[in-house]
Amino acid sequence: MRLLPSRRSDVVGFVVLAVLLAVFPLMAPLSWVNVGVYALIYAIAAIGLTLLMGLAGQVSLGQASFFAIGAYTQGILVTRYGWSGIPSAVVAVLLASLAAFVLGLALLRLRGHYLALGTLGLGIIITVFATESDFTGGTSGIFGIPKPEFNGRTYDEPAEFFWLLIPVVVVALLVARNIVTSRVGRALGAVNDSEVAAETLGVDTFRLRLQVFTLSAAYAGLAGVFFAHWLAVVNPNAANFPLSVKFLLISVLGGLGTVWGAVVGGFLVEFLDEGMKTLIPQLIPGATGEVQLLGFGIVLVLVIILLPGGLHQAWLTLSGALGGRGRPAAEPPPRPAADGAPSPPGAATGPTDESPLFVRDGRPEPGSTLLEVRGLTKRFGGVVAVDDVDLDVRAGEILALIGPNGAGKTTCFNMVSGVLTPTSGSVTLDGHRIEGKKPHVFARSRATRTFQNLQGFGSATVLGNVMVGRHLRSRSGMLRGALLAPARREERQIAQAALDTVELVGLRDEAAVPAADLPFGRQRLMEVARALALEPDLLLLDEPMAGLSADERRALAQLLRRLRAGGMAIVLVEHDVEAVLALADRVAVLDDGRLIALGSPDEIRADPAVIAAYLGVDEHDTEAEDAVRQMSGESGGGRA
Amino acid sequence: MTDFLQLAFSGLTVGAVYALVAVGFVAIFTVSEVINLAQGEFAALSGLVAISAVASGLPLVAALALAVVSVGIVAVLMERLTIAPVKRMTTLTSIILTLGVSTALKALMLLVWGPNSRGLTPFPGQDFTVLGVSIRAQELWILGITAVVAVALIWFYERTGWGKALKACAEQPTAARLVGISLARASMLSFLIAGVTGAVAGVAASPIYFSSWEAGLAMGLKGFVAAALGGLVSIRGALLGGLSLGVLESLVAGYVDTGLRDAVAFVVLIILLVVRPGGVFGRHAEARV
Amino acid sequence: MRTPSTRRRVRSWAALLAASALALAGCAENEGGGGGGGGGDESGPIKIGAVLDITGAGASLGVPERQTLRMLAQQVNADGGIDGRQVELIIEDNQSTEDAAAQAATELITEEQVDILLGASRTGPSLAMRPIAESNQIPMISLAANAAIVEGSEWVFKTAQNDEVVLQNIVDLASQRGWKNLALVRDASAFGEGVQETLTALGESAGIQVTTTQKFAPDGSDFTAQMVNVREANPDATLIWGIPPAVALAQKAYTQLSLNAPVIQSHGIGNQVFLETAGASANGLLAPLGRLLVADQLPADDPQKEVIEQFIADYQAEYNESPSTFAGHAYDGFQIAVQALREAGTDPEALRDYVENLEGFVGISGVFNFSPDNHSGLDKTALAIVTVENGDWKLVDNNRD
Repeated sequence: MRLLPSRRSDVVGFVVLAVLLAVFPLMAPLSWVNVGVYALIYAIAAIGLTLLMGLAGQVSLGQASFFAIGAYTQGILVTRYGWSGIPSAVVAVLLASLAAFVLGLALLRLRGHYLALGTLGLGIIITVFATESDFTGGTSGIFGIPKPEFNGRTYDEPAEFFWLLIPVVVVALLVARNIVTSRVGRALGAVNDSEVAAETLGVDTFRLRLQVFTLSAAYAGLAGVFFAHWLAVVNPNAANFPLSVKFLLISVLGGLGTVWGAVVGGFLVEFLDEGMKTLIPQLIPGATGEVQLLGFGIVLVLVIILLPGGLHQAWLTLSGALGGRGRPAAEPPPRPAADGAPSPPGAATGPTDESPLFVRDGRPEPGSTLLEVRGLTKRFGGVVAVDDVDLDVRAGEILALIGPNGAGKTTCFNMVSGVLTPTSGSVTLDGHRIEGKKPHVFARSRATRTFQNLQGFGSATVLGNVMVGRHLRSRSGMLRGALLAPARREERQIAQAALDTVELVGLRDEAAVPAADLPFGRQRLMEVARALALEPDLLLLDEPMAGLSADERRALAQLLRRLRAGGMAIVLVEHDVEAVLALADRVAVLDDGRLIALGSPDEIRADPAVIAAYLGVDEHDTEAEDAVRQMSGESGGGRA
Repeated sequence: MTDFLQLAFSGLTVGAVYALVAVGFVAIFTVSEVINLAQGEFAALSGLVAISAVASGLPLVAALALAVVSVGIVAVLMERLTIAPVKRMTTLTSIILTLGVSTALKALMLLVWGPNSRGLTPFPGQDFTVLGVSIRAQELWILGITAVVAVALIWFYERTGWGKALKACAEQPTAARLVGISLARASMLSFLIAGVTGAVAGVAASPIYFSSWEAGLAMGLKGFVAAALGGLVSIRGALLGGLSLGVLESLVAGYVDTGLRDAVAFVVLIILLVVRPGGVFGRHAEARV
Repeated sequence: MRTPSTRRRVRSWAALLAASALALAGCAENEGGGGGGGGGDESGPIKIGAVLDITGAGASLGVPERQTLRMLAQQVNADGGIDGRQVELIIEDNQSTEDAAAQAATELITEEQVDILLGASRTGPSLAMRPIAESNQIPMISLAANAAIVEGSEWVFKTAQNDEVVLQNIVDLASQRGWKNLALVRDASAFGEGVQETLTALGESAGIQVTTTQKFAPDGSDFTAQMVNVREANPDATLIWGIPPAVALAQKAYTQLSLNAPVIQSHGIGNQVFLETAGASANGLLAPLGRLLVADQLPADDPQKEVIEQFIADYQAEYNESPSTFAGHAYDGFQIAVQALREAGTDPEALRDYVENLEGFVGISGVFNFSPDNHSGLDKTALAIVTVENGDWKLVDNNRD
């Protein structure tokens, strides 16, 4: 069973690519090589854009802005200040990244639309600035930029320049590929599936997106550097919107799921561009102007609707159809045997094992207050969902939060974990005020949660999901991820720890299964494992028992007891009142947003307000009827 | 003072056009959270259709009607052919899709009408001067038409069942369905509204601001900034946003530097997003996860 | 969802096929007489390469230029070619972009081995071609105006007059009429760049100064801000510098805001679009324009009259429309190249030396006098002062004294 994607096929890919590119100028006519030079230059910018769109899930309509910043900087430093190529390229790339960093700081906290339109605006601002300013040479721009020279050799023939570009493209691809497979890449992939879940596992979405955006601008800046040298002229056209559209088309056509696509897309779009310009005026006599835009537009729409994964998807389909060796998606995922019952949580250690789990040095003493909620209130318009709730959670206890549907349990969780901002009130976790802060702040204080509505990372395997849970327990940033080697040992540790956690909840056999293929109940267990991988001190579980078989429930309850024994604080929202009363140390009851009772299970069983609350609700609420029946000792019947 | 009034008035007129484009963004965004990058192209297209219709001998009123109706149809077709088929619409997908449509529309206009920009016959009326401010009849038409469209839209969204249902769509799909409107139909209706308001902007502006295949980009972008000033979800906010953006641009061009005119909108956009992401004229929307 | 259905697979394939079919259609545009034979050798056809802005932003320049070149190449070949050798004209489209211009120039020189290079239509693409012509040492004649294209170059010439030539005419006009304070309203793109600086420098001795400079985007349509500021400056005359339709709208805004200082327009207005768009507001303006527009009004002894009238007649007969100013730039470029090839042969150095010392060449845009220091060749007599009267051009001053 393959748990981690093998790197061997990638190595083969890189060699094949390098060889193919190297022989291209020998085989192709000169005009093709010329086109190929631009294809490679644009591909570099498009690789960055692919990272931004495919990995960070953000769209830039102004990739050409950063391209222009790179090109202008290089042009000005080389022609006006006599700098040599390499130091000025470094400055050019840094400036492009800096521009993205500043813009991203402002826009990436907001929804994706704003980055798209903001980058588009940046392109226009740069065009206006470059046109207006004498420093950038006005509309004529910077010209007379020499061809690069190394060891006395000038790279001025298309084929030579093409060869010069090959190592750059290959390294650019390697770096991008490494980032995609790194810890940062995994976290961003998770963000794309469920931003809220990734955040509660400690992924600082904003920070990572900002890093990727900055990096993608660096790619564009680098492409701009080569563009400046090859074309010898940089003018305001370099920041033009149509060029940004071209970069976008290259990325989308190549496929956002893979950085390789950008190189293929680069060649295809450049030839498509040439083809359209020749073809359309022949089909429609008298057509002049940027007629190739017609093709660009149509291809964009068609690809998104028919082939959302781009050529990469077509390639997977193709290699799958030919039965060739493809990617994991083409392999039949090992499924749990249909007859043999899947193993329940804790099966590996035996059903009676009660030894503590996840003991951690430095964890707050059992019984000390870990979470302090005061006056927590949430209003949606005129409706008060949670009303002035005070609650303490102590280390080493299981606290159950129960109440009828719509009592505000999940809203409480959302406010405590930072998914919602409270209207008023405070949340103090381990001495820090965290209300209104983003969920990764909550996770950073060693606290995490699961969700009532499943929030699995559908594009990853079970193990991949749980590895995201290790995000805060590992450190490799983007730089280390890009260099790969130093990050690899840590990757193995992450995988091992994640695998141990997976085993704990009884998902060992399904570790390599895509998360989306798991049955409902098993996905819940996976989310529990994912949360545990964070090694939290405080764990909020929102209906973890729903959809589980009786065996699985028993095993999960046992697991929770062992976690409690290890000193973890667990807050449980659960409809299965009987299970909860058997498990919890204390029970808090919410009704209509207010905390109506708090005490030991026995106290709650006897509390008249609680029984009234459960009886007072909608008479068709079978869950509530069950709950009342269970509380008064009858056997539950309504639920499957 | 005369100068100020003249600048402010011409800014108001340009702003009215931005406002009409902006409400189209809001109409679509509130229903499906799609930013329609082809919004400006709707305006450009309607101007060109009207010009051709007049050139082929149709009376002005008929040409205007033809332009508005045909762009409305284009907008609905766009929704049916490109937006509706996509099952899981993310921000990324929606931006790429509408960008694709916008690009293709632009190129189509280029193929049909060629690269030159031209103006529609002005609507009837006499230019005049008041308090030293010279006013063109067409400018009054633009302001009047914008006022009528604004009142109609506000009435529709705040007083009619369908309008309220459209407004509810983004926040509460089920609530919308209860009022008796399916999401598919709501999305179609929102594109129709966007197409029609865009088309009206296009024909009203064409006599003085001219129409060309590439005029839509600037108009769409500025319309977006206007809509963002209103937080993207408020019709009133978008209208106010458009008018203020127009006036601001005109004042910057007049008092600072005419070359900076086109940068104004984006500098405003970026400052706005840093300082007040919920918009200036809209309700403060929660800009979180 | 996960396992791709057959239908999805078919769709993917169709999309892939369509995309690659389009990609394959890409190939260079190649035209002109018989093939074979490389440049530089003494047999086979003589090759003239041209890189023009046929599609994209410069299409309104490139298309008439292409028509002119095709027509002239046919004429030369019909007359027996150059020294008995046919002329092969290879025209490439640079799509109005710098990168395609550079790409096309490289191809023409290294693959087609052309003897001389014409183009591009506009400044940006011409600047991109310049280093390629220079490093390969092939003479190049640009059809664009900006002086930077030829500045300090050994191999590059151009046929459109410098802005300085136009502005000298405007300064002369202003001092003749006693206008001291000029307001400038200029195109914010390449066309209007440097106008204020040059105008100030040229006007200094005549006591003419620029009191305000207003800019507008080439696709601008609202000119209120600019004109309000001009009104504020209260100039003796206003120079509007740009190309239609923007300058026509500016002209309209000018009269509509009841500014009444006289208007001078640039040579950029020389086409029908301007007259149609500006309408009655254009009456009475003054502009230095090429003689092509007023050929019928030229005095009989004008040295250019015969050449221009012949060109208009030929062009009318071939294409059933009047040639534009840009067609004239192409005419000049081609005829200079042909004369040089005829007199100096195909050796690049000899060709360059011939053009560099060419004097008294009568073309459409003027009478060219090149020198090693002046690769532009035109002086202020290239333009005549023209006004608009009842929607048509009217010669005011032939400017030949």
